[in-house]
Amino acid sequence: MNTLKSLFFLSIIILSSACIGDDFVNDTIEPQIRFTSLIDTLGFNDMYQFEYIFLNNVGEIEDVAAIYSSSNIDVIPITEDGLASGLEAGESFISISYSTDDLNVRDSILVVVGENTVSSNQSTSGQIITTSSYQLEGDFEFIETQSGVTLSIADNYRASTALPGLYVYLSNNKNSIANALEIGPVEVFSGAHEYQIDNVSFDQFSYIVYFCKPFNVKVGDASL
Amino acid sequence: MKNNIITIILVFFTSSLFAGGPWPQPKGKGYFKLSEWWTVFDQHYTDNGMIDPNLTTGIYNTTFYGEYGITDRFTAVVNAPLFSRTYMNNLRSRTTDEIIIPGESLNGIGDIDLAVKYGLSNPGSPIPISVTLGVGIPTGNPNGGSQGNLQTGDGEFNQSIQVDAGKSFKLFKKNAYLSSYAGVNNRTNNFSEEFRYGVELGVGLFNQKLWLAGKVNGIKSFKNGATAETVTSTSLFANNTEFTSIALDVNYYVSKRVGVSVSYATAINGAIIAAAPAYSVGVFYDMK
Repeated sequence: MNTLKSLFFLSIIILSSACIGDDFVNDTIEPQIRFTSLIDTLGFNDMYQFEYIFLNNVGEIEDVAAIYSSSNIDVIPITEDGLASGLEAGESFISISYSTDDLNVRDSILVVVGENTVSSNQSTSGQIITTSSYQLEGDFEFIETQSGVTLSIADNYRASTALPGLYVYLSNNKNSIANALEIGPVEVFSGAHEYQIDNVSFDQFSYIVYFCKPFNVKVGDASL
Repeated sequence: MKNNIITIILVFFTSSLFAGGPWPQPKGKGYFKLSEWWTVFDQHYTDNGMIDPNLTTGIYNTTFYGEYGITDRFTAVVNAPLFSRTYMNNLRSRTTDEIIIPGESLNGIGDIDLAVKYGLSNPGSPIPISVTLGVGIPTGNPNGGSQGNLQTGDGEFNQSIQVDAGKSFKLFKKNAYLSSYAGVNNRTNNFSEEFRYGVELGVGLFNQKLWLAGKVNGIKSFKNGATAETVTSTSLFANNTEFTSIALDVNYYVSKRVGVSVSYATAINGAIIAAAPAYSVGVFYDMK
């Protein structure tokens, strides 16, 4: 009986260690600012509203008082709210910048004044790379569409089927899915396939991230 | 479906649950143990045998194990995790210290295993051989937590058959034994079948008050079940666990029939299994 009592108290002590603790992820990134709405050509006498996002040191979107500027205000003047006008033929660098005592970030694009405002669909391509011991690889294209974006995975894509609960995300922090957009569960483990993602702008995210959702473990990523 | 790591741990550490070797309990005699088993792991063996990190996960089982001799050849066996607790840590940002994903825990009963062992050889045979037929009853919770990734059981009804053989002998004038087993576990719910095997060497010291046992156990998957590719659900299906583990058991008789046990086990290689040791402490009653 004493032995049983000892086991009881020992079990209580052991179970008292069964508490939820903390794991930490190294999720620091360089803050950045970038345009989310882009045009190649601004029409003569047309107006265009530029937009931007500022990402803090963990990739979260923050509201900041950034400053718009134009390198050639005779060609394309821009208001402090980002409304640009095409006044005369030519070109100008449109910039957005934000500064504090210890931070200075900036993004610029070249805009030409022409006959019509033109916003061509953008695209980028790259490689999905595993960051774990699980197989994950393949080429991709990230294409702007009328309604959002298309993530097109190439035929050389391969992913391990041993990993349960694999999800794909768009994120501004390749080490964290906090504030990321969950595209959905991975249902294709080899070969070409696509994800249609609506209501997302081309420049809204910086990374594709593959995550084992149930275990909160990153499996791979790709830069956009 | 099933949580890979946790399910695999439950399987791993019960792979040799039908203990006692090829020796059935004599009629009317039995062996009973109440123990606390636990493991906490932050890394696991992947499908290609490498070791990867994972969110810290803990599993604790308060288990009753019993063997009772119905006849001199038939022994009834039960392994019942009466209280099972599993948890996952919070995932915090090292930059902001904010919780990105909150941790969770689950408490409940585990999967209960029942078996009958039959001595194929005559009692007292120099090389005893027995066969054990077992069933695993899914009394645990396979889909706990907000994401269904906390489990106290694997949610599937399995049946197993196992053959044990062994021999008693003297080792440096001490009573010793060597036993081995091989078996097949038939699993349902799209899990792959498994081949299970093990060998155990034990020796009694100090007039058999102290028993030390070294064990090697393993599981090989037949890989004939579903995978994440073929299972439409994106919950935690995890299959095709494999491992080789080593264990050390220490059993000490406090009195003629009552004793305490301590054990340590760890996988030395594996696939889809925790890469961390497991510990157990318990009290046993031997009706010898």
